[in-house]
Order: sequence, then structure tokens, then C-alpha cells
Amino acid sequence: MKKIIPWTIFIVFAGWAVSNMIPKKPSSTFDVTGFGKLPVLAGGRVMPMDTLGRVSLLQMNHHGVEEAAENQKPPRKPSQTQWLLDVLMLPEHADGAKVFEVTNPDILDLFGWRKSGNYSFNDLQPFFAKIEEQAGQAAQTDADARNAFQRGIVRLRDVLRLYVQLKNTIEPQDSPDFGKEVQVFQQAIQPGLDAVRNRDAGKPYDDQAFQRILLFTHRYQSLAQAKYAYAIPNPSGKTENDRWSPVSEALLGAIGTGQIPYPVTAYGQMVSAYRNGDAAGFNQALNEYQQYLSKNFNPEINRPNLEYYFNLAQPFYQSLVLYLVVFLLALFSWLLWPKVLSQSALLLLGFAFLIHTAGLILRMYIQGRPPVTNLYSSAIFVGWATVLFCLVLERIYRNGIGSVCGAVIGFTTLLIAQNLQFDGDTMEMLRAVLDTNAWLATHVVGEVLGYSAVFLAGLIGIIYIFRGVFTTSFDENASKTLGRMIYGVVCFATLFSLVATVLGGIWADQSWGRFWGWDPKENGALLVVLWNAIILHARWGGFARERGVAVLAVFGNVIGSLSWFGVNMLGVGLHSYGFMDQAFGPLLAFVASQLVIMGIGLLPLKYWRGIRARGRRVTETGGVPAHAAEAG
Amino acid sequence: MTGKPEVTPRTPEAPGAGIANQPRPKTSFTALAALPAFTALKGVFKPLASLRLTIVCLACAMFIVFVGTLDQVQIGVYEAQLRYFKSFFLYFTLPGSNFRIPYFPGGYTLGAVLLINLVAAHLARFKFTWKKSGILILHSGLILLLIGQLITSVFEQESQIQLDEGQTKNYSESPYFDELAIIDRSKPDSDEVISVPASRLIKGQTISLPVKGLQLQVDESYENAALINPNQLPSPNYPHLRLGPMAVAVAIPKTYKQNERNQPTAAVTLLKDGQAVGSWALSSGFPQPVQFKVGSDPFEIIFRPKRYYRPFSITLEEFKHDRYAGTDIAKNFSSKVRLVDPTAHENREALIYMNHPLWYSDLILYQAGFGNNDKTTVLQVMKNPSRVLPYVACGMMALGLLIQFGMHLVSFVRRRVIA
Repeated sequence: MKKIIPWTIFIVFAGWAVSNMIPKKPSSTFDVTGFGKLPVLAGGRVMPMDTLGRVSLLQMNHHGVEEAAENQKPPRKPSQTQWLLDVLMLPEHADGAKVFEVTNPDILDLFGWRKSGNYSFNDLQPFFAKIEEQAGQAAQTDADARNAFQRGIVRLRDVLRLYVQLKNTIEPQDSPDFGKEVQVFQQAIQPGLDAVRNRDAGKPYDDQAFQRILLFTHRYQSLAQAKYAYAIPNPSGKTENDRWSPVSEALLGAIGTGQIPYPVTAYGQMVSAYRNGDAAGFNQALNEYQQYLSKNFNPEINRPNLEYYFNLAQPFYQSLVLYLVVFLLALFSWLLWPKVLSQSALLLLGFAFLIHTAGLILRMYIQGRPPVTNLYSSAIFVGWATVLFCLVLERIYRNGIGSVCGAVIGFTTLLIAQNLQFDGDTMEMLRAVLDTNAWLATHVVGEVLGYSAVFLAGLIGIIYIFRGVFTTSFDENASKTLGRMIYGVVCFATLFSLVATVLGGIWADQSWGRFWGWDPKENGALLVVLWNAIILHARWGGFARERGVAVLAVFGNVIGSLSWFGVNMLGVGLHSYGFMDQAFGPLLAFVASQLVIMGIGLLPLKYWRGIRARGRRVTETGGVPAHAAEAG
Repeated sequence: MTGKPEVTPRTPEAPGAGIANQPRPKTSFTALAALPAFTALKGVFKPLASLRLTIVCLACAMFIVFVGTLDQVQIGVYEAQLRYFKSFFLYFTLPGSNFRIPYFPGGYTLGAVLLINLVAAHLARFKFTWKKSGILILHSGLILLLIGQLITSVFEQESQIQLDEGQTKNYSESPYFDELAIIDRSKPDSDEVISVPASRLIKGQTISLPVKGLQLQVDESYENAALINPNQLPSPNYPHLRLGPMAVAVAIPKTYKQNERNQPTAAVTLLKDGQAVGSWALSSGFPQPVQFKVGSDPFEIIFRPKRYYRPFSITLEEFKHDRYAGTDIAKNFSSKVRLVDPTAHENREALIYMNHPLWYSDLILYQAGFGNNDKTTVLQVMKNPSRVLPYVACGMMALGLLIQFGMHLVSFVRRRVIA
């Protein structure tokens, strides 16, 4: 019986997570899933349409999923892909979808609105001139000096531009029937070219054919102004630049070759069918296009395909929820059924870690990069590494501390990551200086492992302080064990952060010509190294014992968070690819909370319930109170 | 650069000679420890070897790194380096005066104290055991790193070459410093360049130049100036220096922004035997040479970024700025250059791109920037005599850490297995 309960709890939650990751059957008769997997080049990489939809929506509002269009009953909450499908093929419908988040009160005032929330393209249309004017003024201020209104209005203008660009991805947005248009254009090319040739040669020519080809040329030239995502693949291209083109260029290119590329025709058929509500026709055109892709673009469509499932499964989100469950189970285990609940917590932690790992590996494969390439992925990786450390600690000590710490840090870092993805594509291409897998895999990973260990040591320090001050169960053994855990983890933190910082120096020497330039990010890394060195020397010199090391380790949280995020807010230096300015408030609150905890940790020992209780125990057995030995 | 090649300049400053003669740092104490007198010395080192001092130094280092990093927002990375890290003290300037009060040790002081502390600690407690070998290697690496960084910060020379496609240069320029150069063009096959650093141009001073008994009198000097059209002056009497018919310079505060450069501007008079040869207003923001004669000898005077002449020349053949398909995100920058060194009989092509610099003689050339619609490249030229030291030091530190913590881990696991 005792063995069954933990497994049952485990299976319930694990099963729930797995069921979340299995793709569901779409409600639409249109093959939205198939469309979501179609490859498109945006932001310098080939991604599935689904990612394009998600990334675009994330820039427009913080929910990622749009709200239902007005006068649509019953209101449905369509997927990102469904929304993108509307934008690309039925823009007049998508224009009514409330996807543009407007929250800044000054911007709302500008439009005479009261309620902050999501608005549609149609809602915003009357104010386009105002938005352009205000954003144009705001853009003249340096990006890091803009106030909330200026940031907001520039962002609003940018996402409106993005939206218009999206509408022109596979057809001119005003085309009533793009499939038909492509056919007409195809028929117009040859007569048109003949007319142009004859006209140039001074021979008689067909003026109607001439005017028609001229009209098409102008139309597609102006379409090229709005190019953003490149939807049209070209199997004969050699480099990525040649293998993908925007629909405008594919159409203009057809004037030269006389033949419209098949992908354009295929999209034309899909658009026409979609607009006519012809699901069978849409699915057939889509299916033929998919076959064309798998014949000509194997294996490069594998990654977008996989990415589609990665998007649907959201492995990091599932592990985030599981870490929360683990934390709750571990908390309850202190109140009742300690053995049973802590066992299920550990099982579930292992399972969450497996999903986390799978997500990390998938991400690495899809991107073709080491795990950490930007701030978002650094948060994912800090979480992963910490949970790994915790599982090792749990294996060694078997006292439940590992489960709690893994759950807390896993949950927190994934939550941070969730909030960091609002900047857009989390698998964005890397700036030139970062384009080296060897250094990314060593320096960056090492640095992030260092952060993981610093935060883990800090959290165990917090547990030490809280258990010591607030509980009576804090016997000498518990104190010693926690102290040893902190020390071991600090050793790892020192090792990783020192080696990684030094490797970073070598990378800097290789690419910028100086080993050390006192750049903010470098200084942040140096602070972490120095702080770890102080902890170790203070312990070796006997200036800090268990309690002292615990308090010092908590301050490591402060140093770690400043180095990880704080220096990115300064906006100076060469490491200018990880900047962020919004998180200043939360960071300050975190630092303050850690200082308060350190203050608690520094309370005189007579206020430590754990030590008082121990003193009683010791005196009862005739020994001497152990206060003095504990001083740190 | 066409015409006569310019020879290495003579400067009124002491030249940075003797770099190659720097003493090699000692890293092995084994030999010392064998001496009988050494044991007696140990006592002397005791106070210097205190672990408490180490911790205080590390904490102070954290403080200056933290404050210095914050101040970079105001004064920029370079100036913060000078004030906090490459200095002996941090100063507090009394408002409204030039009186500076030192309030905290700077990077040099802390580095030196840490170095002494570390060396003393090893001398005082030195006893070689396998158990301590990791710590010993780690600390030796740290000593080497500190010494290396000290040598670097004193002798490192950083400059840039800005080249348009097709352009050739045999010099690089400082990104921070400017110089007033007086060029003697009287010799048939080479020019002689006398350069006065901008920092020496102090109003009212006269500087003797080591050529033909010339003296330079500084009539006015601005640390930084804005160059504007004369009719943009707030009033005709507003203090300014007239650079030409269309440009005047007005003094503005020094800038510390990363993407801005100060434009020192000065009015100078050149004297020969107390007689004025000529007076000019010159600005580094407008580096145009002015011709004049001393007797019958042709001369030029120019205010420009400080130059470092090289025995070789670099020609930019092609600059490339690759972007990711369909975006403006930079994928790579590369400069195809031709390197010509007549003294070494070299004439070859080289490709410099991100994370792939060109090593030549004692210099390394990096891809640093670009401009002018991708037709101009900026190459960073670094000269660092102690460039290898960090590599050795880092290797030692990593090895030391691995040994130390490896032994901890092994004994920990062994204890647990026994338990």
C-alpha cells in the first residue's frame, strides 16, 4: 500500500502533463495543423507558420492568443495558427480580431479611450496618422531614454507595421481572389512581354497587353515594400538567401522566366478555397504543396515540422506546472505523510526534469545551437542545471531539501523564461560576434552553470536560516548537513564561474582584442567570482561557520541576480545583445527580500528557535549549550 | 597615403622603450623554500599574509567593481576604467573646485595589496603537500593573471585603422587621444612628425619642440568643442575659435558617450627665436592640414587623432556585411585586406572577420566596425606585450580548481561510501 500511493500521485500528474502534450484534433474542417507546419523564412531562419503566428501575436499582446472578433457568436478562442491563417488569407476578417494591446493611459487618452485592453486593427484605423506622427517624434529620442508613452507608441506603430506586412505575406492584402489573380497574371505574362519587346523595337504592339503587364508590375513592386516573411521556397537556390523569397519577388521574377513558381500557385489555390469556405479544396491544395515540399525540401522541413510539435507540446510550460506541484507536495510532506508525499515529490521532480531535458534537447536540435543563446534560454538552462544539481544532492542526502530547492528554482526560472519570451522569437538568430558554437558551449554554459549553483546555494542558505529561526526541528545534525550542502554547492559555483569567466576573457581576447575590458557583463561575472571566493576564504579562515556561510550564500542571490539581469539594464558596453529595461522593479524587490532574509539570519542566536530548542535538549542531557560553537 | 612615406614620429613624451626587458614574474617558490634563511623570513610575512586582509581586499574589489560599473552609465566604459580600475585611489571632487579627496583604494592599490597578500601567504605558510597542490597552482595562476593585467594596463596600446575600400594606410589612430602634429616636409624622402598630445595643450603654456628651435604657444584650448556655422553663434561675442570661413568651434563639456568622440580644439602660435611664425585655430574634429613655411622649409600643422605609424601598410580590398536572409541582423563582417611590408618582404591578402583576427608582427588586427554604407571598415589594432600571460594563468587556475575541488569531491564521496 505504501508503495502504491506515491506512484498513484505520480501517475496522475505525469499523465496530466503527457495528455497536455499530445496534439488534439482540430475542430475546423480546414487542415489548420497542416498549414501550421508549412515552412516560412522569418527573422533569418526557417520556421513553421505556427511559430510565425505565435511570435507575431506575442509582440502584439502579452497573451499570445488573440481574443475573439466582435459579433462572432459563440466567441471562440482560435489557435495562433488559425489567426495567422485569417491574416494571410482573409485579412478583412482578421482586421476585426482584438489583438493589439493598448495599456498605457497616455496612449489611450490619445485615442479618447478609457479601457485598457486589446483592440482590433479596425479600432485603431482612424488613428493611424496620429500614431505615425507621435511614434515618429518618439523615435527621435534614444531608445534607452524613452519614457513609457514613447516606448508604447513606438511599439504600437511597429506591431501595426508588422501586421500589415503579415497581411501581404502570400498575397496582396486587397486581392479579392488571389488564385484567380495568379491565373490571370500567368496568362498576361507572355502577351505582355511580346508587347514590351515590340514596343521597344518600334513595332506595332498590343497596348492592352502592355498596360496589363505594367499594372501587374507596379502592383507587385508596391507589394515588395511590405515584405517581411519569405513564404516562397525556391528549390534551385544554393544559399539560404536564394532559397527563399517574398511572394512579391517570386511574382516579379516570373516576368523574366515566364513561369510563376509552383508554391505561389499553390498558395493562390489555398487562398481562393479558404475564402470560399471550400475546406476540401483547401486541404487538397495544401496536401499537394506538402508533397512538393517533402520532395524538394527534405530534410530542411524536418526542423520546422518538429518545431510545430515543440510549440504545441510546450514542454517548458508543462515542467513549470509540474515543478509547482512538486513544491506543493514537498510542502505538504512536512505536515502529513512525510515519507509518501516526499517520495511522490521526488518521482515527479524527476519526471518534470525529463520533460525539461527533452525540451532543451529539442530546442538545441531545432536551433542547431548550444543550449544558451539569449536571456530566455539562459533562464531555461539555469532552471535545468539547478534541478540536476538538486537531484544529485537528493541522491546523496535523501533529506527532501533537493526536491524543494529543485522545485522552487525550476519553477521560478521557467516563470522568468515565460516572461522573457515576450520579446518575440526565442530562437532568434545570433549577432555576428556570438556566431560561434564552441564559445557558446563553453563560456556561456559555464557561466550559467555558475549562476545555477549560486542560486542553489542561496536557496539552501534561506532554508538554513528559516529552519533555524522559525522551527524547533533544527538539530545539530540538520545544521551540519545544510552547512555542508551549501559549502559543496559554493565550491561548484566557484569552479564554474571562475573557469567560465576566464574562458570569456579568452573569447574577448580572440574577438575584441582585449582579455578584460571592464564591460558591465564582465564585471557582473567578476562579482560572482569574487563573492564565491570571499565565502570560501571566510570559511577556510574560520571567520564564517555554518550560519555565516548560509547568510553569505543568500547574498550570493543578490550578486547573481544583478550579474544575470541587472547589468543588462545599464545599457552600456559591448555585450549589447541581452538588454532589457522592464524588469527593474521586480529585480529591486528580489534584492530587498534577500537583504531582509540576511537580516533575519543575522538575528542574535537567542532568537533562533532551532538553537534554543537544541540548547534545551543539550542541557536536559547534562551537556553545555552549543551556542558558542554556532557563532559565525 | 600616397607620396613620401612618413617616418616614425619623435614625441616630446618619453617613448615606451624597454618593453621587452620587463622582468619575468617568478612563480616557483620551491627553490626559495629550501633556503634555511627562508624559515626566519616566514615570521616577517605573517601580518601581510593574513586571510582577513584577503577578504577585506576582495570585498573592496567588489565595491569598486560595483560602483565603477554603475558609473559607466554616466561616464562611459573607458573613463570608468581610468577612474576606478586603473587608478590608485577613487577621488571625490569637491563641488565647485578642483580639490580631490581620495576616499577609497582604486584598482591598482587593491591589486597590489592582494598580490602582496597572496605571495606573503604562500611564503609564510609554505609547505608543499599534495593536498595543497591545487590551491598552490590556482594561486600561482592568479598571481600571474594579476601581474599580466598590470603589464597589460601599462603597456597595452589600442588603436584603430579606418579604411575605405581601395584605401591604403601605414598608420593606425587612437580612438581616445588626439595630437597636434607639426610635420617637417623639407627632407626629400621622408617627413619628420613632431606630435604634441592634446592633453599637453594647456592655455598659456609654451612647449619647446625638438626641431629647428621652434616653440609652441597655446593661446586657447578646449577639451571638447562643437563645430558650428558662424551664424549659429548665440551672439557674435560668444567665445569661439574661428576654424575657417564656414566653421567656428565653441567649447562644450567633455563627452563620455560610447559612440561620441571628444573634439579638442586649440588656438596656437608657433614661435621661432621668439618671433611668431604663424597662428592657427585647429580642431581634431576638422583634421585638415595647414601649410606654412619656416624660413624656406615647407611645414604642415594638423590637429588629428593620435597616430601610430607602422612599418607595413594595409589596403582594404573589399568589405562585406552579411545579414541573415530577409533581415537586418548582422551575420558576419569581413574585411579582405592586402598587407604590404617591404622590410619583411611580405605582400599578401588576408581576411579579417568576427572572431578571426589577423596577427602580424606584434600586432593583432580585429574587425571592429563599419560605416559609410558598408564601404568603410574599422579595424581594431591591439598591441599587448603580455598577451600570453592570461592564457597561461587561466590554464593554471582552472587546473588548480579542478585538482582542489576534485580532491574534495573524492574524499567526500569516499566518506559517504564508508558511512
